[in-house]
Amino acid sequence: MLISRKVLVSFFSFLFILVGCQDNVSEDDPKEINDNKVDEHVLTDAMGNEVTIPANPDRVIASYLEDYLLALGITPIAQWAIHDGASIQDYLQKDLKDVPTIPYDLPFEVVTSFSPDLLIMSSADMVEGEKYEQYSKIAPTYVLDLENNSDWREKLLKIGEVFDKKEEAEQVLVTYDGKVKESKELLKESMGNPSVAAIWLVNNTFFIVSDKVSSGVVLYDDLGLEKPNVVEEISTTATDNWSEISLEKLAELDADHLFLVNSDKGNGAKMLEDPIWQDIPAVKKDQIYEYEADSAWLYSGPIANTQIIDDVMTSLIK
Amino acid sequence: MKRYMTNTQRKAQLRNRTVMISLFLFIVFVFVISMNTGFIKLSPLELFYTLFGFGTSEQALILFEFRLPRIVLSILVGMGLAVSGAILQGITRNALADPGILGINAGAGLMVMLYISFFPSMNNTPIFILPVLAFIGATAAAACIYLLSYKKDEGISPVRLLLTGVAIAAGISSIMIILTLRLSPESYQFVATWLAGSIWGSNWKFVLALLPWIVILIIFVYIKANVLNILNLGDVTAVGLGASIEKERRLLLLAAVGLAGASVSVSGGIGFVGLIGPHLARQLVGARHQILIPTSALVGGLLVLVADTIGRWILQPSEIPAGIIVAIIGAPYFLYLLTRLED
Amino acid sequence: MIVSSHLSVSKQHRPLRAMVILIVGLVGLILAIGLSISLGAANIQLTTVWTAVFHHDPTLTTHQIIWEIRLPRVLGAAMVGACFAVAGALMQGMTRNPLADSGLLGINAGAACMLAICFAFWPSLPYMYLILYAFLGAGVGAFIVYGVGSMSRSGLTPMRLVLAGAAVSALLGALSEGIALYFQIGQDLAFWYAGGVSGTTWMHLKVMAPWLLAAMVGAMFLSRSITLLSLGEEVSIGLGQRTKTIKIIGMLFVLVLAGAAVSVVGAVGFVGLIVPHVARFLVGHDYRWIIPCSIIYGGLLVVLADLAARMIHPPYETPIGALIAVIGVPFFLYLARKGGKEI
Repeated sequence: MLISRKVLVSFFSFLFILVGCQDNVSEDDPKEINDNKVDEHVLTDAMGNEVTIPANPDRVIASYLEDYLLALGITPIAQWAIHDGASIQDYLQKDLKDVPTIPYDLPFEVVTSFSPDLLIMSSADMVEGEKYEQYSKIAPTYVLDLENNSDWREKLLKIGEVFDKKEEAEQVLVTYDGKVKESKELLKESMGNPSVAAIWLVNNTFFIVSDKVSSGVVLYDDLGLEKPNVVEEISTTATDNWSEISLEKLAELDADHLFLVNSDKGNGAKMLEDPIWQDIPAVKKDQIYEYEADSAWLYSGPIANTQIIDDVMTSLIK
Repeated sequence: MKRYMTNTQRKAQLRNRTVMISLFLFIVFVFVISMNTGFIKLSPLELFYTLFGFGTSEQALILFEFRLPRIVLSILVGMGLAVSGAILQGITRNALADPGILGINAGAGLMVMLYISFFPSMNNTPIFILPVLAFIGATAAAACIYLLSYKKDEGISPVRLLLTGVAIAAGISSIMIILTLRLSPESYQFVATWLAGSIWGSNWKFVLALLPWIVILIIFVYIKANVLNILNLGDVTAVGLGASIEKERRLLLLAAVGLAGASVSVSGGIGFVGLIGPHLARQLVGARHQILIPTSALVGGLLVLVADTIGRWILQPSEIPAGIIVAIIGAPYFLYLLTRLED
Repeated sequence: MIVSSHLSVSKQHRPLRAMVILIVGLVGLILAIGLSISLGAANIQLTTVWTAVFHHDPTLTTHQIIWEIRLPRVLGAAMVGACFAVAGALMQGMTRNPLADSGLLGINAGAACMLAICFAFWPSLPYMYLILYAFLGAGVGAFIVYGVGSMSRSGLTPMRLVLAGAAVSALLGALSEGIALYFQIGQDLAFWYAGGVSGTTWMHLKVMAPWLLAAMVGAMFLSRSITLLSLGEEVSIGLGQRTKTIKIIGMLFVLVLAGAAVSVVGAVGFVGLIVPHVARFLVGHDYRWIIPCSIIYGGLLVVLADLAARMIHPPYETPIGALIAVIGVPFFLYLARKGGKEI
């Protein structure tokens, strides 16, 4: 029982490492800049490295950023996975099903074996301990590290810049905002202003999403749904996107509607039979909507967020 | 001298030479296997070509940037830890002394961890600072252990020294765990891996940071080999022979702490190397430190190299930390030695 | 004869004092349990705790929380503490080893390693059977440590046993880590050093309770013989005790107690070391008092440690094992320094 908790914690560490927000001080790494070719462009990344982006990168590895790449019409040559491919970003598999997996920690040799022509690192932690130098010998390596790493819009624009697809990135945002506006109005019309929360059940432990990240942004910021007190409270101290929440804290959750991502379906999800869970107002009223582990709720990005909105709409408006 | 060498002496010298050469050949052998171990397969021929600069750029990258630094680091770490163990065993006259068991490694680790946790941006930290920090931590731990196991009327008994070390190591590990929980998850991850003993910094910068420590200190110890021989005879004899015993002992202790600290700063908590290295070496070449020190270094280097190679090979592309493999080999060896230790 | 008269002399003034100490401890334990139940994510008043336990109303969420989450957890903590403490007391008495503790002597590591194997190969094994494997693992750990200890040239000295225990713990810990990595049942290696009772449910308690009761009642029955054993094997034999049988039965109880505790909380050490010493200090050398005293104060220690673990850095939990080690290590060093002469 303890071990399973630990798997989770470590999974969270992975997530955190991948989307971690840390200030980074630049390291000057003078590189030979070859501007003979017209189409290449040189960018300075979050760590101050000058990165020469090839003309039309078509062998890109951008682990845990696949969502953004696909939104810009780029298919990476390898996709993020943990546990030897046992866990992947299921919600993107429609587009990524033929793309081989790469371990989340990007071992040098595995990266090399794909002969990439561009690497994008989702945070500076990925290249900690002088690893940048080695990665940049495999291929030009661009480290993406925003002050606020959960700001997916900023991230999308930055990635658009890397691929010289600024307009496309802006267009994606415009389309998304249009969808948000439309959905928001529809919700207001038919539901008023209900309070909602998203919960994730995995290995008999509940997690709740913070208000400024992942599906939290979509629910509270974009769709403007009401935030329950418990979410507000937990968000102020949260260090991860999803914070562990005890059943007893859940008992205080007074949301009208609950979105439940159930990763425990395979092993019976015994927690859902617990009397305390059954006592939660939204559960009592049967205003709970269950999604499988392959839904987009745990992730963030233009495609994930769009899918989350679709889920919300189909669940709330029948 | 040489002229009057007796037959037995000549035999011993021949044997020692054979031992050193075979150890060296062993290392070369594992070195080659290790170069071949990894996610991307290189045939022996490709390897050969690449080594001499005729491989593709990708092959050169894999060999020179990814595999070689790590192999070299493993060997250096093994050498450092084994020589450190040899010194500790010599000056304490305690057959079970080892920087890992005595808690010196843990002290170094705590310091490295504190540094990495409170100054999380490793990217702008000069790497060569790590061994220095580790040395400070290791010295503090060694001082604690020395003071706590010293008794006015009895001095330091071998068993009490070990016991104190084991306890200090346990205490420091739990402090590390408590501290990490207050820190960010990625430092937590780092400390967990560190505790398990994984060669985590694998590029030439780390090699450069570690190399001077290992080379200078091993040479220093080699020069002092005779002092070690005398100290090993026991304090009474040593004083009788006129060695200024306390000063020499402290200098050598510092060298041992430096070697262990520096090694641990890149390798994490690898225990038992400092125990096994010198023991096997003693079995092979006897107790004279002039020959024991270099032989220990070779055995230690070989041991960690083998452990790291196995660890990389079993679970490809993930890895089992070398420390785990060394512990699985080393702990039974420790138990075996324990049954033979006199109080 | 002298011994028994000595015992009867001490009996005259002991019982009263011991009774007081037991009652004080019991009151303290109940208070600590109440406090632990009332403090949490949402604080609940002690009066509510009272009504929830004694006039349970399943329609109230607060009552549900107390009944389903906090009560099993705190009872689990108390039981685990009692288990480790009694196991320690039995071992210390039977072997006259002041440093005996199921954690220090590799028994906890054995149980934890076996649990890791079970998680790897039979992930859905019900707890009812899991606990049996924990007993088995505890036995394997104890067997290796005592085996090595008794193979020693100078016999089973307390310190030697602890060193053997440390090495066996290192070995089994490394094996567990290796298994965890290989089967990917827990990337987080810290588990093996840590521990916590947060996942305890009524189911665990129901499975555990009969074993504990049996072992503890059994320990009480043995307590007189253990008092005699603790005075020395010769004395015990002289008084007509069948020391072999007593030791074997006592050891079985130890394995059951330690195995059961580890299966709930993980490999937590030092409880079985600290508590019996405190008990001996409080109620004297008679195990008829030491054992009940260990039950109560062991429970108290772990309940308080669990409370601290939740309070230090909410909402995160600090591993109990690390917390107790921070108290346990200095205590251990103190005992080791005394040289293990008194018991």
